[in-house]
Amino acid sequence: MSAVAPSPLIRRKDRLRRRKAVNRGMELLAMAAAAIGLAILAILVYKIVRNGAAALNWDLFTLGQIPDAPPGIPQGLANAFAGTLVIVGLAAAMGIPYATLVAIYLVEFAPRRVRNFISLILDVLMGVPAIVLGIFYYELLVLTTHTQRGLWGAIALATMMLPLVARSTMEVLLLVPNSLREASLGLGVPRWRTTLGVVLPQTMGGIVTGSILAVSRVAGEAAPLLFLSALGSTSVDWNPLHPLSTVPLAILGIAEGSPYPEDRARAWAAALVLMIFILVASLSARWLAARSRRKILGSAR
Amino acid sequence: MPKTGMLVKISLAVVAAATIATVAVSAAGAARQSTSLSGAGSTFVQPLINAWTQLPSQSQSPFTKAKHITVTYGGGGSGAGVSDIIAKTVAFGASDAPLTSYATTCKTCVQTPWALSGTAMIYHISGVTKTLNMSGPVLAKIYLGTIKYWDDKAIKAINKGVSIPHTAITTVHRDSSSGTTYNFTDFLSHVSSTWKNKYGATTLIGTWPGNNVQAHGSNGVAAAVANTNGAIGYVDLWYGITAHLKYMSIENQHGRFVQPTLSSIAQASKLDTTPKADGTLSIVNPPNKTKYFGAYPISTYTYVDVQKHSGSKATPLKTFLLWAVTSGQSHAAANYFVPLPSGVVSWDKTHIKQIVS
Amino acid sequence: MRFGDLILQLVAGAAAFGVVVIVGVIAYKLVDGARLSISTFGLGFLVHQNTWDITNGHFAAGNFIYGTAVAGFGALVLATPLALGIAIYLSELAPRWIAGPVTALIETLAAIPSVILGFWGLYVLAPFLLSDVDPALHSALGFIPLFGTATSGSNLFTAIVVLTIMVIPIISSVSRELFLGVPTELKEGALGLGTTRWEVIRGVVLPYSRSGIAAATILGLGRAIGEAIAVLLVAGGGTQISANLFQSGNTIAARIASEFQGAQTALELASIFYLAVILLVFSFVVNLVARLIIRRSARRLGTA
Repeated sequence: MSAVAPSPLIRRKDRLRRRKAVNRGMELLAMAAAAIGLAILAILVYKIVRNGAAALNWDLFTLGQIPDAPPGIPQGLANAFAGTLVIVGLAAAMGIPYATLVAIYLVEFAPRRVRNFISLILDVLMGVPAIVLGIFYYELLVLTTHTQRGLWGAIALATMMLPLVARSTMEVLLLVPNSLREASLGLGVPRWRTTLGVVLPQTMGGIVTGSILAVSRVAGEAAPLLFLSALGSTSVDWNPLHPLSTVPLAILGIAEGSPYPEDRARAWAAALVLMIFILVASLSARWLAARSRRKILGSAR
Repeated sequence: MPKTGMLVKISLAVVAAATIATVAVSAAGAARQSTSLSGAGSTFVQPLINAWTQLPSQSQSPFTKAKHITVTYGGGGSGAGVSDIIAKTVAFGASDAPLTSYATTCKTCVQTPWALSGTAMIYHISGVTKTLNMSGPVLAKIYLGTIKYWDDKAIKAINKGVSIPHTAITTVHRDSSSGTTYNFTDFLSHVSSTWKNKYGATTLIGTWPGNNVQAHGSNGVAAAVANTNGAIGYVDLWYGITAHLKYMSIENQHGRFVQPTLSSIAQASKLDTTPKADGTLSIVNPPNKTKYFGAYPISTYTYVDVQKHSGSKATPLKTFLLWAVTSGQSHAAANYFVPLPSGVVSWDKTHIKQIVS
Repeated sequence: MRFGDLILQLVAGAAAFGVVVIVGVIAYKLVDGARLSISTFGLGFLVHQNTWDITNGHFAAGNFIYGTAVAGFGALVLATPLALGIAIYLSELAPRWIAGPVTALIETLAAIPSVILGFWGLYVLAPFLLSDVDPALHSALGFIPLFGTATSGSNLFTAIVVLTIMVIPIISSVSRELFLGVPTELKEGALGLGTTRWEVIRGVVLPYSRSGIAAATILGLGRAIGEAIAVLLVAGGGTQISANLFQSGNTIAARIASEFQGAQTALELASIFYLAVILLVFSFVVNLVARLIIRRSARRLGTA
C-alpha cells in the first residue's frame, strides 16, 4: 500500500468500514427478526403449556361439557375430543383416497393442459376461506336435509384436505423417475398395475407425510364447522349422524364468553392437547418426508 | 411389489386400524338410539334449560331422570333458534322475541311462553363500586352515542353523591340476532322517541352508533363488560349475577329506581297475565299505577317455538314443554327466573296440546 | 389389460374433474345466494358505508371492506419485514446447526390453529396491548390518528397483531426457499468482487427473488383476509369506520361468521352471501395473481 496521497485510500478504507458496519447492522437485524419470531412462538407455547398443564386431568377426557354450569360441578371436554376424532377421522378417510386419485390422474394420465388447468382449480380451492366453505355446505347439506351432522363437518374438512394432499401426492409422484414406469411397462405390466403397484408404493412416504400435515391442519379448524355441527353434543357421542362438538368449536364457544375461569382453564388444556397433537404430527411428517426423499432419490440409480 | 419400508407399513397399518375403529365405533353409536330432543336459540333462557336438562349431568338432570328423554341445547341466540326451527334442523327453538318481530318467521310454529325474567344493565367502571341509577331516556342516549362519558351531567344528575370518573363509555351489544336485544330495544323504544324512530324494537342492529363492541351470546356480553373498563351491556339477569357484575337500578314509570329481583319482575308481570292467541305477553315498562309501584321495567317473558307438526318428536316435545311449565318452574327461582303465574301455566297446558305429529 | 387401464383412468379422471365441479358448485351456490342483494344494490354495495340496516333493508359492505383492508394490510406491513428478515437469516446467515431447528420452529407457527391464536389473543395479548402498548404508542405517537386511545382490548390493532403472527411463517418459508434457490454462482460472483454479505443480499438475492416475494406477500394477504375465527375473537366487532387502530372493528370474514346463523330477512341473508362472494372473488384474484407472478418470473429466469 502506498503511503503517499492517503485521501483516496483512506476514503476507500472508510467506505469499506462503513459498508462493513452496514453489513453487520443488517445481519443483526435479520438475527433480531428471527429472534422475534422465536420469541412469539415461545410466548405462545409457554402460555398454552402453563395454563393448559394446570387444568390437565382425567376428567377432561372422560366427562362431557355442561355449559354455564357453576364451578365445582365436575365436567370436561370429552365430547369435544370424541367429536374431533370422529369428524377428523372421517374427513381423512374420505379426503385422502380422493386426493390420491386426483393426483394419480393428473400425473399419470392427464395431458399437460388439463393438468395445468386442474392444478389451477386446486389452487383456487385451497384459497377458498374456511368460513365460505362453511356457508356453502350449510346451504348444500344442512338446509336440504334439515339436519346438522358431524358427517357434514367431515365433508367440509375433507374438502379442505383435498388440495393439500393432492398437491403433495403430485409432488412425490413426479419425483418417481420415468425409467421405473418404462421398465415396468416394458416388462408387460399393464398401465394400471404399474401405477398402483409400482409407482404408488414408491410414494407412500410422501402421501403419508402430506396426509399427516393435512390432517393436523384441519384438526384445528372451527370456521367450516360453525354451521354444520354447531349444536354439538355436550356428552360423548360417537355417531357422525348427530351434531358433534370438536375441540376447536369448544374452545371457540368458551372464548366467546364463559363467565367461569374454570371453563377457560379447560379450554387452555384442550388447546394444549391440540397443540401437542399438531406439533407431533408436523414434526414426524417432516422427519418422514426427509427420510422418504432420501430413499426415492437414492433408488433413482 | 417393491419393498415399501417397515416404517411406512407400520404407519399405514396404524392409520387403517384407526380409521376402521372410528368407523366401527361411529356405526355402533348410530345403532344405539334413544329419545333425544335438540334445541337452539336464546341464551337468555339457557341457564334454566341447563338446570332442567344438563345439571349435574345430562343423564342425571331433573327432566331426563323424570322422563328419560335427553335434551341437547345449542344456544346461539334467539335468531338462530328461529332460523333453525324454520329450517327444521332442531326440534324446538327458543326466542325471547315474539315470532312476529322476525321478518322471516315461522308460520307453522306453536309459540309458548315458558320462562319469565328480566334484562339487567351490567356495567364496569373502575373506581365506581356503588350501584348506579339509570333512567330510560339517559340509557337511550348512551346507546345512541350522544352521551359519551360516564361523568356526563345527565348521569350524575340521577346519581347524586356518587363520584364517577371521566371514563369513556363503551356500549356492548350482541353480534347476531338476539331476543335480549329485542327486549332491550323494546324498552328503549318505549322511553325514547328518538330511539323508536331510529331503530325501534329489533333483534339485530347492523351498525350501532358510538363507541361499541359486539359479543356473542349473553355470556359473551357479560365477559366483554367484565373485561372492558367503562363498558355497559344488557344481559339476562343470571349472567349479570354469575359474572359478579353490578347492574343498574332502572327508573320505572312510578319514578322509583328498581333493581331486577324476583319480586320486582313478578310485579311487572302483573301488567299482562293472559297470553294472546299467538302466545305473547308484553310486560315492558309498566305504567304509573300503584300495583306496579316496585316493578322492574325491563322484564320479559321468553318463548319456546315448536313446529305444529313435529312428526316423531311431537310426543317427547309435549312431554318436555308440559314438564317445563309445571315441574320445571320449581327450578326457576334458583336461576333468577320468576315461576310462571298460574294463569299463564294453565293457558300453556291447553296450548301445548296443539302440537301434533 | 386395457380394461383395467380404462377403469383407473375413468375413476381417477372423474375424481379430478370432480374437483372442478366442486369449485363450480361453490361459486354457483354463493352467487345464487347473493343474487337478491346483488340485484338490489349492485356494485354500490362495495362502496357505501355505515349502512347495514336490517329493519329497513339497506345493506352495504363499506365498513367491513374497510376493516378487512386495514387488518390485512396492517398485518402485511408488520409481517413482511419480519418475515424477510427471518428468511434472510435462515438462508444466508445462520450456521447449519441453527438453521435447521429454527426453520422447523418458525414453520410450527404456521401450524397453530387460528382458534388457539384467537383464544391466546383474547386472554393474553389483548390485555397486554390495552394496558401497556396502547398508552405507550399513544403518548409517543398520538399525534398520528392511527394511535388513538383504546377503550377495550378487542380492537383492530389486536387483530392486526394476531394476523401478523399467522402471516409471518407463510411469507418467511416461501422467501427462504426462494433465497436458497438463488444460483450460488451469482452470489459467489458478487462476493468475489469484494461485496459484503448484505450487499449480496440486497443486490443479488432480493432482486432475483423479487417476484417470488411479491407472490408470497400476496398469499399472506389472502390468508389474513380469509381469516374469520381469530378476528371474530379479538377485533371487537365494532361497526364504526375510524382512523384509530385501537377502535373495535370487523372484517368481512368475521362478520359472515357472526351474522350468518339467524339472519333475519331474505335480503340480509343475501347480503351476507354477497359478502362471501366478495371474499371468494378476492381470494380467487389473490391466487391467480400469485400464480401469474410465479409463472412469469419462472419463464423470465428460463426455468419454466
